[in-house]
Amino acid sequence: MNEALWYASRAAGIASVVLLTAVVVLGTVVAGRRRPHDDTATVAMATHRWLSLATLAFIGAHVATAVGETYVSIDLISVLVPFTSSYATFWVGLGTVAVDLLVAVAVTSLLRHRIAERAWRAVHWATYALWGFAVVHGFALGTATEPLLRWTTVLCGVVGLGAVAWRANVTTHDRERRRILAHQEWS
Amino acid sequence: MTRTDTLADLLDAAGLAGRGGAAFSTATKVRAAHAHGADLIVNACDGEIGAAKDGWVVEHHLPELVHGATLLAAGRRRGILFAAHRNSRTAGILRAAGLDVLEAPSRYVSSEESALVSLAHGRLARPMTKRVPVATGGRDSRGARIRPTLVLNAETVWRVAQIAERGPDWFRALGTPAEPGPRLVAVSGFVAAPQVLETQAGVPVRALLEAAGGLPPGSPAVLVGGLGGAFLSPDEAGRLHWSRESLGTVGAAVGPGVLVVLDPWTCPAEAVSQMLTYAAGESAGQCGPCMFGLPAVAREWDELVLRPSRAAEERVRRRLELLPDRGACRFPDGVARFTGSALRVFGSHLAVHAAGACGYTSRRSDPRVVVG
Repeated sequence: MNEALWYASRAAGIASVVLLTAVVVLGTVVAGRRRPHDDTATVAMATHRWLSLATLAFIGAHVATAVGETYVSIDLISVLVPFTSSYATFWVGLGTVAVDLLVAVAVTSLLRHRIAERAWRAVHWATYALWGFAVVHGFALGTATEPLLRWTTVLCGVVGLGAVAWRANVTTHDRERRRILAHQEWS
Repeated sequence: MTRTDTLADLLDAAGLAGRGGAAFSTATKVRAAHAHGADLIVNACDGEIGAAKDGWVVEHHLPELVHGATLLAAGRRRGILFAAHRNSRTAGILRAAGLDVLEAPSRYVSSEESALVSLAHGRLARPMTKRVPVATGGRDSRGARIRPTLVLNAETVWRVAQIAERGPDWFRALGTPAEPGPRLVAVSGFVAAPQVLETQAGVPVRALLEAAGGLPPGSPAVLVGGLGGAFLSPDEAGRLHWSRESLGTVGAAVGPGVLVVLDPWTCPAEAVSQMLTYAAGESAGQCGPCMFGLPAVAREWDELVLRPSRAAEERVRRRLELLPDRGACRFPDGVARFTGSALRVFGSHLAVHAAGACGYTSRRSDPRVVVG
């Protein structure tokens, strides 16, 4: 039983990283004024939302099984309070921080129509950080000797960074015009 | 809190209204400024297309202008700023006189009231959203406090000195009861003798044009008030008077006192196109109706000139409805008015133009040449 939990935790963890990366990549696509405005927009946005719910489920499973199995000791407190685990304090702690941030992102997203757009947006930016923590956490604690798993995490990191770089550099009509006008003589 | 403000009362009695374009009561503005201990900026930028009168005041009546500014500053020790475009002749004269010059970049919106206040605060010369009058202070869009600043047009400040010296009765003896006092009008463009005229409200527009050499035969229109103004057909220029009431019948206004006569060779549709292109490039990139709306108007106007149709005209009209009342300043409002009047005055020419029978020999020329 314990062995099953251990494997389940590993599997849910790697699935979480893959799903989370997919959600982040979709997020960079639908974010800001550059988002597509036709049917693709609806599909991309819906996929981003539903996939993020699936991610929550897998992360939930990953955390529950990690606490449940007893090969290494991670207690309930370490689920929410970072850097309290006796096992791999720092690397588990990174995962905990990611979970905390994820809870904030998920809650604000569920309450999106009830809170200020600005507040939702500010919290949503934390996704980039939590994704980074999650990938590092996954890479550091990926104990399997199977190279496929390790390379999956690395690939997720590369793809995610690529998406972030794209979002940071891609220009929009709006941004471009503001930039050009701001560079003219105004003082 | 009511304090007696002798100068404001005097200006009230004279009925002085701002000569920068908005024609707002100077007494009201001065009263608010004095109550808030406002700084003073004398605006001599002549920012509108064809404007020249404020430079004229600086050149010919500088001692009176400085006296007016001193009266308005009411003994405040902080320096009075005189705003003029960088490297302009006006800036040179002001500097040579030892005055504090606020040098604004030569941009259309940079001489707007709140843009000058922003510049005086060491920020960019771009208009600010005014939640309260700048004469009472307020905050900028980032929440930083703005010092209360009274911004008055140079001609207005000169009039203050004159009223203080000669009294409100002298002032009211000129002009009309609704728009009293002497006023300046700059006539330029295709006229024999471009000049700044000392005149008053109520005179025929034709008389102003004749003083500068007259409307040349074949001139398609006269532009009143520049990019924020309106076109008059030659017929309208012949029968209307220089007053809010008369000019208002065709959507024009006395504004900042500018008349530009279009030349008889340049196609007016093309001239408007060039002015709209210029306008689109003058946006400060802050407000949607300006940074996107003005280029859209310019584009759609070109489209209309190239292929006139009911639909193309309707597109321009609908676009113009989206511009007013939405910017930090009134630039989009002004361009909407300007373009609307171009549709009105040149509408019949657009059809002729499209049929290939434009008749005007010159299609393109430098807008500065066209509009003087």
